[in-house]
Amino acid sequence: MIDWSAVQEGLSLLFSSPSYWLIIIPGILIGLLFGAVPGLQISMAMAIFLPVTLYMNFMQAMLFLTSIFTGGSFGGSIPAILMNIPGTSSSIATSFDGYPMSRKGQHNTALGLALGSSCIGVLIGYGILFLLIGPISKLVLKMGPSEMAAIILWGITLIGTLSSGSMVKGVISGLIGLLLGTIGYSEAGVTRGTLGSPYLLDGIPAIPAMIGMFAASELFRLVNTKYLVEDAALRKVSIKAILAGFQKTIRYPWGIIRGSLIGVFIGSVPGVGSSIANLISYMVAKKQDADPESFGQGNPAGVVASESANSTSEAGSMATLLALGIPGGGATAVMLAAFAMHNITGGPQFIREETDIVYAIIFANFGQAVLLIGLGLLFLPLLANVVKVPMNYLVPSVLSLSVFGSFGLTGNMSGPITVMVFALVGWVFKRFDYSVPAAVVGILLGGMAEDSLIYTYQISGGQWSYLFERPATIAILLLLIVSLFGSSLLAVVTRAHNLRPTRESFSGSQKGANAQTKNRR
Amino acid sequence: MNPKVKPLTKHQIVDLTVLVALASLVVWYFVNARSASTHILNLILILPFTVLTLFLCLIQFICQLIRPSVEAPAVESVKSVLPVISLFAVYALTLPWLGFDVGTCLFVGAFLWFHGERRWPWIVGYSLSFASVVSLFFIAMLPYPMPMLVFPS
Repeated sequence: MIDWSAVQEGLSLLFSSPSYWLIIIPGILIGLLFGAVPGLQISMAMAIFLPVTLYMNFMQAMLFLTSIFTGGSFGGSIPAILMNIPGTSSSIATSFDGYPMSRKGQHNTALGLALGSSCIGVLIGYGILFLLIGPISKLVLKMGPSEMAAIILWGITLIGTLSSGSMVKGVISGLIGLLLGTIGYSEAGVTRGTLGSPYLLDGIPAIPAMIGMFAASELFRLVNTKYLVEDAALRKVSIKAILAGFQKTIRYPWGIIRGSLIGVFIGSVPGVGSSIANLISYMVAKKQDADPESFGQGNPAGVVASESANSTSEAGSMATLLALGIPGGGATAVMLAAFAMHNITGGPQFIREETDIVYAIIFANFGQAVLLIGLGLLFLPLLANVVKVPMNYLVPSVLSLSVFGSFGLTGNMSGPITVMVFALVGWVFKRFDYSVPAAVVGILLGGMAEDSLIYTYQISGGQWSYLFERPATIAILLLLIVSLFGSSLLAVVTRAHNLRPTRESFSGSQKGANAQTKNRR
Repeated sequence: MNPKVKPLTKHQIVDLTVLVALASLVVWYFVNARSASTHILNLILILPFTVLTLFLCLIQFICQLIRPSVEAPAVESVKSVLPVISLFAVYALTLPWLGFDVGTCLFVGAFLWFHGERRWPWIVGYSLSFASVVSLFFIAMLPYPMPMLVFPS
């Protein structure tokens, strides 16, 4: 399975010039910066710096771009933890527990945990990629549109049922998000729900909507608080506490392994990528935890689950890119452009002929994870000082930053207006216990879900029997049903089990009573 | 004996109104999509999901009527949030005319004033420097022009 001679060649290629390693440091720093500034995306950073790679050889270009990816994957968690603004869509779930930890004054620990989980996640993800690049590429080839549609529906249902106090309201939020995600010009060539606005032809701008619903709406809720962390004693930024948080990561080995496996698998599904991997990992962790109620209240396991999954999903999407030449998301799409700029085509042929480069990229990512530890620890104390800023300064600054970032994403006024509208929607949703994460993921993936259903319909010719030829689709749909009704069924079974001894003792006492009556007779 | 029916609180009425508004939005979108095209490929997701959403909305509506939700203690009061939402809306909507530089400066300054900051040097200094730094950063980073009044876009 592993071509050891190619491994050796890859290692010697990687250590043939120090330039391969020197190029990683600016890459990680760029990724950290773009990830940490809300509204600036990893894919945007990679696209902006793509022309720079023209002056590099293919290997240098790949290492530079993957280091931006690695830095950005972690960078997105910084505003998610400190300000409840997921810097990127792959850090949505990090904010669920990271931000409550910050509000409790545990921001140092949360940042350390995120850094630790990200670094270990990258190591595990690329480790899995090293061992399983062949089987993963074969598995991904078998994933059709019906499986993708099922994964999206499962993800949204899972998020809807678990991230809201009311299951029905959670699912309603996810479904409304999905419907809103289909607004605009469809794959079928029809324009819906645009209200005549040309800005909506491409649909609702998903990332500005996400910024509005998560960040701006949360800032509205905080207008009357003085500081992000109310207790002055807890506002300290401590490198020691960040390190302690980093070390604490090893207390969650199963959480990291589970998150990593989910990350690699979901990340390798083209188009789905890290934006859903972190959410599914978080929800699975919450469901399997002995104390699920503590999730969302500042449970470190939630941060670990999300960060380990979003870091490993990078390896998953790289597997798809390298093995099939299909980008898993925006960031890998930029990498595909770098492939084209260097006249290289990804896919089975690339894996077969350039195996040494593939292994060199994998090993360089191991190095990137280690470098990220050093650079992250160096810059985190600086960034964590945000908790010391009074809220009356922080709120307008972050709101403005969201508006700038949203303009940066869309290139026109649709971004800022989307942030404004969805900030209000998010505030209403939070106030009346609707699930904001489910709605956001619905908006993000609505268009893709519809496209997948259209392709499934076209492939199957409208025959339901097609589903029986897709066991993976049925398995995912079964998981969806279990997510919806599993806990209720389990409760019914447990109640029945608990009642049984009572009934038995009752029937036993009845038998005894009957026997006594007979004896009397 | 009939139990005494408690009247719905203001929060519960607004909660029901939000639910009805969401159901109405879904119905409007379905009607809009259907009027665009009745082809199966156009409605392949919209029709089943509309039906499912409306069904769930109905269930939730009945549940809320039978067992009204208990208002969770909110951190923020509506009275304190509405001015912020209005200020933010004015900021976002006037950006094409005021530009990101002047608009941001005015928004940050106004927010600071409304939230208790009375030191004018701080208000002017912070809003000016914040708006300038962020505007210049985004002008340098973005590949397309941003509406600006003072800085060159």
